[in-house]
Amino acid sequence: MPLNLVVCLKQIPNPDLQFQVSADGKDIRRDALNYKTNGADEYALEEAVRLKEKHGGKVTAITVGPKRTEQMLREAMAKGADGAVRIAFDDAAAIDPVQVGRMLAAAIGKRPCDLVLTGVQSDDYVYSATGPVIAGVLGIPHASVVTKVEVGDGGLKAWRELEGGDQEVVFLPRPALLTIQFGINTPRYAPLPAIMKASRQPIEELKAPDLGKASWDEFRGPYAIAVRRVAPPVAKGRAELVPGKVGDQARAVAQMLRDKGLFRR
Amino acid sequence: MGANVLAVAEHREGKVSAATYELVAKGRELAARTGGSVQVALLGKDVAPLAAEIASRGVEVLHVEHEALAAYTAGGSVQALTALAAQTGPRIVLCAHTSQGFDFAPRLAVEWNAPLIANCVDLGFEGGSLLASRKILNDKMAVELEVTSERPYVATLRPGSVKPASPGGASGPVTPASVSIDAAKNGRTFLGYEKPQGVDIDIGAADIVVSAGRGIQKRENLALIEELAKTLGGVVGASRPLTDLEWLPKTRQVGQSGKTVRPKLYIACGISGAMQHIAGMKDAGLIIAVNTDPSAPIFEVAHVGVVANVLEFVPALIKELKSG
Repeated sequence: MPLNLVVCLKQIPNPDLQFQVSADGKDIRRDALNYKTNGADEYALEEAVRLKEKHGGKVTAITVGPKRTEQMLREAMAKGADGAVRIAFDDAAAIDPVQVGRMLAAAIGKRPCDLVLTGVQSDDYVYSATGPVIAGVLGIPHASVVTKVEVGDGGLKAWRELEGGDQEVVFLPRPALLTIQFGINTPRYAPLPAIMKASRQPIEELKAPDLGKASWDEFRGPYAIAVRRVAPPVAKGRAELVPGKVGDQARAVAQMLRDKGLFRR
Repeated sequence: MGANVLAVAEHREGKVSAATYELVAKGRELAARTGGSVQVALLGKDVAPLAAEIASRGVEVLHVEHEALAAYTAGGSVQALTALAAQTGPRIVLCAHTSQGFDFAPRLAVEWNAPLIANCVDLGFEGGSLLASRKILNDKMAVELEVTSERPYVATLRPGSVKPASPGGASGPVTPASVSIDAAKNGRTFLGYEKPQGVDIDIGAADIVVSAGRGIQKRENLALIEELAKTLGGVVGASRPLTDLEWLPKTRQVGQSGKTVRPKLYIACGISGAMQHIAGMKDAGLIIAVNTDPSAPIFEVAHVGVVANVLEFVPALIKELKSG
């Protein structure tokens, strides 16, 4: 029972770095950003490749973004994706997850597909929305925050992570969409020959007319979402910082723990 | 014109989640500013006691009983809320940004062709527009969005963003609401829960928790954290990345998807403070955070901050404690 698998990837500014506000105060400065594949999407890709290795089939990696995202797609092919699609919507900020989700759904809906995988969230905007939006537009069932998948005849079993450490087990008929949680697997590294090979593979590029719309704006809903301001967050509270070098800091903290009766010796 | 708010209650195995009361509080604030009212949608089967409990916070509950809502599904919630909204005409639907809220809210927005504003830390109306505050990029930047829509807004609120509505005062009414739901359109089927088996220690019961995060860099360095915990008579906890790497069992994970702890002392070692972690430890008595990055969000919830390399600071602290 070979599977047609689609995995949605997003290239995001590396969230471990520091950011500055752009001149107009409505975005982060993007002129010197370091981009990487969104963390949860790496797990989604790995899960798709593992399902293909187990059941047979094909993995297609798909993204929405400018030319720079092709490097991410090539990495995905080096790690086991068989093909790659880039939806060439070139809005660096792309703040409406429903608009982006509709584009992805339009592209996915054009091809045979048994299972769509996305990351549980993107670490840049943290909406956790793209997966369920795609499923909603395609009218297929989905499960989010998935930590384990079993594909069987007719459908699949998915384990969803809930708050407090419990899991919920659900059954979904195919086709379906899953949003994949961190830690579901250990993503592989791409072997060098595969990287070389992927650098020569074609990437399918889709524009709005290829998805049946005259322009990207037609993917937007009847509402407006505008950024009013981007700024460093106003700290609600602030820790009292212990001054000095490491030795001084350790002495001060030890003294504090004794003074508060949290350490008695 | 008043803006009516429909807050969607969340419950599991007969318990109302704390996030529900945060929605009530935020909903009340939104409604008060515009002269509207708040209603809580409670969807389920045999949930009358929960309806009474929510109403005791002084809010009207729209109680929907349906066989097809016996277990939570995104499809069931979307059908029920679509039918309810047709009856009550809310200006905004408030959901918790939880494994349940962010599971169905995007589908609801698609179904209604309505704007989705997810994972907000604050919301307010200004004229006809909705202003939403969000945090992005590991909470390193704050964004204010202005959303304008004729259709209802669908918003999810990050847990812990507002103080929950407390009980007391007069109960609100419980209004039964009937909706038709086609179970075949629920999409997925609930099969059951799986719970962690309690073989490990319970970090939730400890007075002192010393937690390790990515800042410890290598698995071997856990020994340092263990030694500090032992010296203080506490237990070792961890942030999510470490349990994902299986350096520590899942039972040690502090955070939204792990344990919520309220020890007398919490020491965060090399933890940057993602919202998922902070949700699980922010109410500890004394929080000491050690991190090399002075802009790490952990320093916002910590009472005491040590800007240092945890691999240098922890041995120094152990030495100070042992020599004292």
